[in-house]
Amino acid sequence: MTTHELEEFLAPMRHEYADPRSLILPALRYAQGDAGWLDPQAMAAVAEATGFSQAYVESVASFYDRLYLEPVGRRVINVCVTLSCMLRGSDEIFEHLADYLGLDGEGTTDDGMFSLHKVQCIGACDRAPCLQIDAGQQIGPLEPADATCLVDDLREAAAPARYDR
Amino acid sequence: MPVLNSVFRHREFGDHLTSLVEYERAGGYLGLQGTLAMSPDDALYAFHRSGLRGRGGAGFPMGRKASFLPKDTGKPTYIVCNADESEPGTFKDREIIEHNPFQLIEGMTIAGYAVGCERAYIYIRGEYGVQGEVLAAAITEAREAGRLGPDALGPGRPFDITLYRGAGAYICGEETALLESLEGKRGQPRLKPPFPAVAGLYGCPTLINNVETLAALPPIMHRGPDWYAAMGNEKSPGTKLFSVSGHVLKPGNFEIVLGETTLRELIYDLAGGLREGREVKAVWPGGSSVPVIGRESLDVPLDYETLNGVGTFLGSGGCIVMDDSGCIVRASWRLAQFYRHESCGKCTPCREGTGWLAKILGRMVHGEGRGEEDIRMLESLFGRISGRTLCPLADGAVMPVQSALNLFRDEFVRVASEGSPRPEPMMETPVG
Amino acid sequence: MVTLTINGRSVDAPKGTMLVDAAKAAGIEIPIFCYEPRLGPPVGACRMCLVEVEGMRGLQTACSTPVAPDMVVNTDNEVAKDAQDGVLELLLANHPLDCPVCDKGGECPLQDRTFRFGPGETRTLEPKVHFPKPLELSPLVALDRERCIACYRCVRFSQDVAEDAQLTFQERGDHTEIATFSGDPYEGRFTGNTIDLCPVGALTSSPYRFVSRPWDIKNTPSVCAGCSMGCNVEITERDNEVKRVTGRPDPNMAVEEGWICDRGRWGYPALRSADRIDSPVLVDSVGRRKVLLERAVAEAAGVLVNRDARVGILLGDPITVETGFLALELAQRVGAGPAMVARMGIPGTGLGPMRSLPGAQMDDIDQADVVLVIGGDPCTQQPVAELRVRKARRRGARVAVFGPRPSALDDSCEAMRTVPGHLMDAAGAIRDRLDGSQRAVVLWDEADLAAEPDAAALIAGLVQATPGARAIEMCADTSGPGLRALGIGTDADLLAATEAGEIDVIVTIAADPITGPSGDRWAQALVGVGTIVEMASHATAITGHADLVLPLLTPLEEEGVLVSMTGRAQRLRPGAREVPGAAAAWEILIGLTHRLGTPVPDRTPAQAFSRLAREHAPFAGLDYEVLGRDGAVITPPAQHDPDSARRDPQGEGLLVIACTPVFGDATAHRSDALASVVEPTRVGLSPAEADRLGVRTEARVRVATPHGEAVLPLEVDARLHEGAVYLFVGDPAQRAMRLLPLDRGPVRAVVGVAAREEVSA
Ligand SMILES: Cc1cc2nc3c(=O)[nH]c(=O)nc-3n(C[C@H](O)[C@H](O)[C@H](O)COP(=O)(O)O)c2cc1C
Ligand code: SF4
Ligand code: SF4
Ligand code: SF4
Ligand code: FES
Ligand code: FES
Repeated sequence: MTTHELEEFLAPMRHEYADPRSLILPALRYAQGDAGWLDPQAMAAVAEATGFSQAYVESVASFYDRLYLEPVGRRVINVCVTLSCMLRGSDEIFEHLADYLGLDGEGTTDDGMFSLHKVQCIGACDRAPCLQIDAGQQIGPLEPADATCLVDDLREAAAPARYDR
Repeated sequence: MPVLNSVFRHREFGDHLTSLVEYERAGGYLGLQGTLAMSPDDALYAFHRSGLRGRGGAGFPMGRKASFLPKDTGKPTYIVCNADESEPGTFKDREIIEHNPFQLIEGMTIAGYAVGCERAYIYIRGEYGVQGEVLAAAITEAREAGRLGPDALGPGRPFDITLYRGAGAYICGEETALLESLEGKRGQPRLKPPFPAVAGLYGCPTLINNVETLAALPPIMHRGPDWYAAMGNEKSPGTKLFSVSGHVLKPGNFEIVLGETTLRELIYDLAGGLREGREVKAVWPGGSSVPVIGRESLDVPLDYETLNGVGTFLGSGGCIVMDDSGCIVRASWRLAQFYRHESCGKCTPCREGTGWLAKILGRMVHGEGRGEEDIRMLESLFGRISGRTLCPLADGAVMPVQSALNLFRDEFVRVASEGSPRPEPMMETPVG
Repeated sequence: MVTLTINGRSVDAPKGTMLVDAAKAAGIEIPIFCYEPRLGPPVGACRMCLVEVEGMRGLQTACSTPVAPDMVVNTDNEVAKDAQDGVLELLLANHPLDCPVCDKGGECPLQDRTFRFGPGETRTLEPKVHFPKPLELSPLVALDRERCIACYRCVRFSQDVAEDAQLTFQERGDHTEIATFSGDPYEGRFTGNTIDLCPVGALTSSPYRFVSRPWDIKNTPSVCAGCSMGCNVEITERDNEVKRVTGRPDPNMAVEEGWICDRGRWGYPALRSADRIDSPVLVDSVGRRKVLLERAVAEAAGVLVNRDARVGILLGDPITVETGFLALELAQRVGAGPAMVARMGIPGTGLGPMRSLPGAQMDDIDQADVVLVIGGDPCTQQPVAELRVRKARRRGARVAVFGPRPSALDDSCEAMRTVPGHLMDAAGAIRDRLDGSQRAVVLWDEADLAAEPDAAALIAGLVQATPGARAIEMCADTSGPGLRALGIGTDADLLAATEAGEIDVIVTIAADPITGPSGDRWAQALVGVGTIVEMASHATAITGHADLVLPLLTPLEEEGVLVSMTGRAQRLRPGAREVPGAAAAWEILIGLTHRLGTPVPDRTPAQAFSRLAREHAPFAGLDYEVLGRDGAVITPPAQHDPDSARRDPQGEGLLVIACTPVFGDATAHRSDALASVVEPTRVGLSPAEADRLGVRTEARVRVATPHGEAVLPLEVDARLHEGAVYLFVGDPAQRAMRLLPLDRGPVRAVVGVAAREEVSA
């Protein structure tokens, strides 16, 4: 992610905000689209393109769950574990997936294919227990077997051109 | 099944209204048409007369809030739609956005006309990636059709909407934290006063409303505020979307006329009831941040005042149901973990207290409780957190746990000394 | 005024006062952590200040609740006490039990408040959130994240006061931590203030770590002598050593507001640098040897008493007004008639019109609608002034910076870089900014405007014509206005007399003329002087030539009065006396008058000050008592200088822009604590100029003015102007200042490749 690319992305929206600080979050989201996480260079590019200090940009980024300051897998599997999902077996789904991926709880598979995360309510409790790949459609209700199928399908599928997490 | 007299056109028409043409065919933009024929002040008065209350959680009268915005400040006035919908158990805004985005856009345009706003924002939670796409497409379509843009409110009278995407933080649903986030800062609540109506986005007068609140405006302006006010009762007029989830057979969103439907009807008639042989044990009727109530309160009609009467809140309408297979301590622990994770960390009682609550409850659940001592500790912690923080998140963290302890004290005492094995979850596929 | 009731007592407070402050004024303490009005509006984060306001729902934060008529407030009833107790208990929930090994222990607000307002007992706690132990935020500031209570103070300082935007919060909730970008060092000129602000031992001074415990130290309020800002400080002493310098806990709001720069804070190790003079030295027929102070003073008196001795007394910097005054007294009592008394290397002519302008204090900048900075660079030369200017800009004042030097203010203020030697070109823009202003404050640089008397006269006229406009002279010397008020002038005549062989004895006080402006001329002239008596705290270039060396205490160790650039006379109070064999200049001077048989009546600086105040009009009515805690403002005479003709630079080559950053001064070079931030003495060129001269790739270059030449490191910097050579001076070892004319007037320099042997030297 270069500063120039970011500037081009931001140019058409600059007029929508009275303070360029508002561009930081869109810029971070966009910058994350490339590698799927925000490496220091991406963050530095955001700082430059928006005109705020790197420390400030990092501070903002670190506040949000879906901006990753550490590398994550090619796809992030977000399993909701909040109350409605828990009541309908989200813990079992999570454990099943961790098992299937060979992970000890949350983490990233050795091959860098998947990160498995527990997340808080993703607004789809009607589909509990549910999960979400990156910021994609909330999928559910799931049985453990559905979840592993999903992973298999994902393994086949190519990584998206740009990430939206 | 189409709902008669629904406030939300997609429900009335039983259809997805995701293109402008379909929306207009379903009566879309008649509300704006009517609004533009009156003066902004009359429009404000109509909001007021409808009795519409904020659907984001606090239930503050929408028209009154809009009338707080100072005029002629020399600064722009902004409208911000709160589409952060992160309250556990709540997914009603998602439905409106997915199936009926134009009604929200029209509602915002109407509000824009009334308060003299030219640029509005929709702050949507980052996790709503797909829903964000739907909204973005709808905004573009509306703009291309001239429904947004330089002449949206009539020739030379601009109004436009910017979609702003969050990135994962429940606290950004709190209105001032949302504004901070929208200003490119860490999403931490501001000290109030000043209130957003006076000094909101970029220090300018700002009207913040929930998706459901703003989306209710088109039918109100189309059919008239009296039509709306005639539904429900005096203090809780109109309809409300309830999201029902948890141990019910048919989870989903249900629109009910306030004050007419009881909690029991919502759970058993609308949400399909429970599994064979199961009984309701606990209900969080307005999202996870409200006090939990038990089986004995099932027959209350759902409206703001009546729910207050049984010690809880209507909140966001995210109704979470747990049957008697569930463990109340485990459920409380899970919620405490949520609040610990979501505390923004700005103020001491919440930053430290939510973590402490979660740790104690976690120990109890895992059989490492210290009996009565833990119960006393919990009780004293409640008082040290609630009412003492910068924003209401911490109160929301305490209320469900405190009420659970009050209601199910014996179970807490037992778990505090014996622990709580994980119960079998409900794995039934929802009906319908 | 608003009348309200706090704890049953009727209290009056101005409208808009926050409850904490209203209570404090009435002697009622409401505990706080995050509240710090100097950092901006309250954040209400720590919740320590919760009080009950009758009629209001729930508890209110006293730091953000303004007083209202008839308000009834309870800060010590059961509800309020329970709230305070509760917040402390929660703060301690994740706080390590570190007090015995914590640098803050004994002077820690958290510890103190826990003791006074906290829970009687600590309850069984859950496992605490852990962070790896201390982190070096920079070589100067250490961070222990476990101790942090997330009070926002350091972050707000970095973001909203220093505006360096480096310290931030990362993560959220109970994982919130203070950090810089990717762990980069926290760099800046003001970083140490975060240590003073931190209410716990999370941010500590690395040079001070584990040095002392609060119970065996003594704190003394004093003034920093690092530059003409005159920041109020507190000196911490233990075992007769200065262990620490901090901002004063009760700040002088008219001066530094409690902020000090890192040079002022961490200059004190220079007191113990290897070149500190620890004993008097006598050179006579026997040879060169250390002697006792008594003996040295007697020897000096022996020289001065000589009826044939024509004496010159040369004052350097910093010099207290008492020392200046007693030097004048001594001058009357020596040898063949009154001695000449002069200040070394001060900017000369043409400042009369500027100095006649109505003066402002630093806190007037807070009210200014327009702030202009003309010449100089407060950011490097009077650092804390920068913070006031930034504050003005944040508040919405129009701030513009004019001059040939790049400045840290450029990024956030209007900046107009003038062609070197042509401040005059800024006149139009200055007029524009002043036009219509009502409360303008103009900060102008003494040395720069002295070099351009024509510009000075014109700008003075513009300011004079602007109603409400006032000026602050950014002085080159620490106490320039004080010595000016005593009528002590430049050393031009003294040098001329010395060169003419008319001076037999030179007494230098904190002055090394051969390192200063026109040092080579001085070196030549001194050859003909019979006796050199040097009073100095550290060895200088003339120490080896002096016949008598008298060790001085430094400003951190002595008593006296310094007059800041806004004319504020403030008291130095000795923090420690590190060198037993050394004395304050005033002590030596009084001793000399006794030895000469014509003793002055004063025994203390306080007495000397009272007497000088009676004799010198600008100080009329002042004594130590009147100076009190925050000093008093004097107005030195303007010295009407008719000469406003343009001065042509001497010599040929590129115009020299002299830069005197305090972070590059002698003390900064001597303090090991400042090693990571000290500014080297060097030559700065724009890339184009460096190319033109063919020196772009050189490590060191030769610079030559009519006053001397030096080989110095080269720095090529795109922010520098073409057509000029920037000379960053300060390191006494490099003696670069001597390339300047005696009065620091305009001069040109030839810059070229240094010969190979010079480079290796
Ligand atoms: C912790 C917290 C989270 C909130 N989350 C949301 C939310 O996700 N959506 C929402 O509309 N309001 C939320 N609110 C309420 C808002 O602060 C605000 O009251 C609301 O957006 C106002 O709109 P309304 O009057 O239309 O309800 C939240 C409040 C708190 C304290
Ligand atoms: S109550 Fe919690 S979420 Fe709200 S400001 Fe305080 S720490 Fe942040
Ligand atoms: S490091 Fe100190 S000053 Fe900074 S937030 Fe933590 S406790 Fe406050
Ligand atoms: S600005 Fe000057 S007086 Fe103030 S602390 Fe720094 S060096 Fe000392
Ligand atoms: S609890 Fe899982 S989506 Fe709401
Ligand atoms: S001092 Fe008032 S909230 Fe911190």
